[in-house]
Amino acid sequence: MTTVDDDAYVSELGPQAVAAEPAAAATLLHVADLRAGYGPVLVLHNVSLSVGEGEVVVVLGANGAGKTTTMRAISGTIPRMGEVDFAGRSILKASPDAIVRAGIAQVPQGRGTFPELSVEDNLRIGAYTQRGGGVDEDVSRWFDTFPRLAERKTQKAGSLSGGEQQMLAIARALMSRPRLLLCDEPSQGLAPLITKELFAIIGDLSREQGIAVLLVEQNANLAMKIADRVYLLETGHIVASGNAEAIAADDSIRKAYLGY
Amino acid sequence: MERFLDAVFLGLSSGAIYALVALSLVVVFRGTGHLNFAQGEMATLSAYIAWVFYDMGVHLIIAALIGMAFGALLGGATEVALVRPLEKKSPLAVFVALITLFLGINALTTGIWGAPPDEQIDSLFPNDPEDFWRIGGGVWRDRDIGALAVTLVITALLFLLFKRTRFGLAMRGVASNAESARLVGVPTSRVLIGSWAIAGAIAALAAVIVAGNQGQVTPIIMVSIFVYGAAAATLGGLDSPGGAVIGGLLIGVIENLAAEYQEEWIGQEMKLGVALLVIFVVLLVKPSGLFGTAKVERV
Repeated sequence: MTTVDDDAYVSELGPQAVAAEPAAAATLLHVADLRAGYGPVLVLHNVSLSVGEGEVVVVLGANGAGKTTTMRAISGTIPRMGEVDFAGRSILKASPDAIVRAGIAQVPQGRGTFPELSVEDNLRIGAYTQRGGGVDEDVSRWFDTFPRLAERKTQKAGSLSGGEQQMLAIARALMSRPRLLLCDEPSQGLAPLITKELFAIIGDLSREQGIAVLLVEQNANLAMKIADRVYLLETGHIVASGNAEAIAADDSIRKAYLGY
Repeated sequence: MERFLDAVFLGLSSGAIYALVALSLVVVFRGTGHLNFAQGEMATLSAYIAWVFYDMGVHLIIAALIGMAFGALLGGATEVALVRPLEKKSPLAVFVALITLFLGINALTTGIWGAPPDEQIDSLFPNDPEDFWRIGGGVWRDRDIGALAVTLVITALLFLLFKRTRFGLAMRGVASNAESARLVGVPTSRVLIGSWAIAGAIAALAAVIVAGNQGQVTPIIMVSIFVYGAAAATLGGLDSPGGAVIGGLLIGVIENLAAEYQEEWIGQEMKLGVALLVIFVVLLVKPSGLFGTAKVERV
């Protein structure tokens, strides 16, 4: 079992949460000993995780565990220390735009759209790093995938419903043709039915397009359904990890995160 | 009717200058949320640079372009050296620094060129006493038409920049949601420098036109015009370039009509007061300005 040795939670987890080795696929994202925070406050103390090519990895954590900080540290929008390798290269010193160009796109938490821009412009700005054509083709491709966005393409993004905005944020992230999609709590503020639909879309995208997904969530039940592997994040530490079935089978984890 | 048209034509020309200054303020405000209080003085310094080259024998249009390039450099440098480091500390620090820059540049131009130079600077447009058109009985001078035309051309160029270019899309993105802009790979620092540079060039152009109309550059040519420009931007809505232009032209026309028809009460001395009264009323009714976006957001 891959747990952080200096942590008291280890003993509570029991031996069930085993077999958490990275998937057979080649490692796409490798994060080790990641530390990050805001000013003098360190939020992440020791985060190590990996995402394989085409894999869906879910990081579960409560409020304040450091989920959003993890996303920001990977996408380079806050200072970070440790190891962050993507496709075999260190991106620790890379700027956010260089990281997007390398193939990582983030769907930010909450309303991450450009509210004053039209739906179509939201997609186009998502292709900002794409040099050379193909943008028009990508726009129509994602409009085909998300017909509800196509119906509203001239509308301002701020006038869309929460679920539509979340879809727009995902479509926009896909415009940069990423190999890895970071999703920061896509369920936040959405009705359960819409959340379910959204997770189904993310799962399909990964399966059909071969895009790897790293998704952080509080909403464990739905997220686990699309996960290949799961990490548990508590107060800036990864405390456990395993494949989705093993984590779901663990009594103490199930009580703490799934609530039954 | 002649009297009315005269006042309207005059108003459109001074309004065009207010509109240019307002545009420069709006371009910066949209991207950064800062009102550049030093913009007028930065433009004055740029006009001095243009005049220095003109005085050396450079063609006026080339000299004006050099002044605009200097304004752009000064704007970009202000963003990098002053605004960005202070912004991390507090927005108030930026405010104070820009006020200080206003005073500093004013002291600099007064110190170097305090006594009005004997050498004059020409207007960019035909400016002899006989250079005017008679329209419906009113007199419309070429230089006033020129100022209006320049403003409309700059507005059209800005519109194309915002709506039709990749950089313009990035500027709108940064204005709308800076964090998301970074996440889609927009190099936000370059966009901010670009915004300040564009604003610096536009304001410099305004100052060169003003200097040309007055025949000389003085340290105070832009002081009251900056106030009008800021008022125009507020009236139009601080995040709306189109609003800035309409706001500027409206203020120019209203104040000149007021001065023309209420010569006793208002006249040339009190016309700024009329403009401010109009703005006050508009903002009471519509706080985001005539064309400013009240944020649309569904929860």
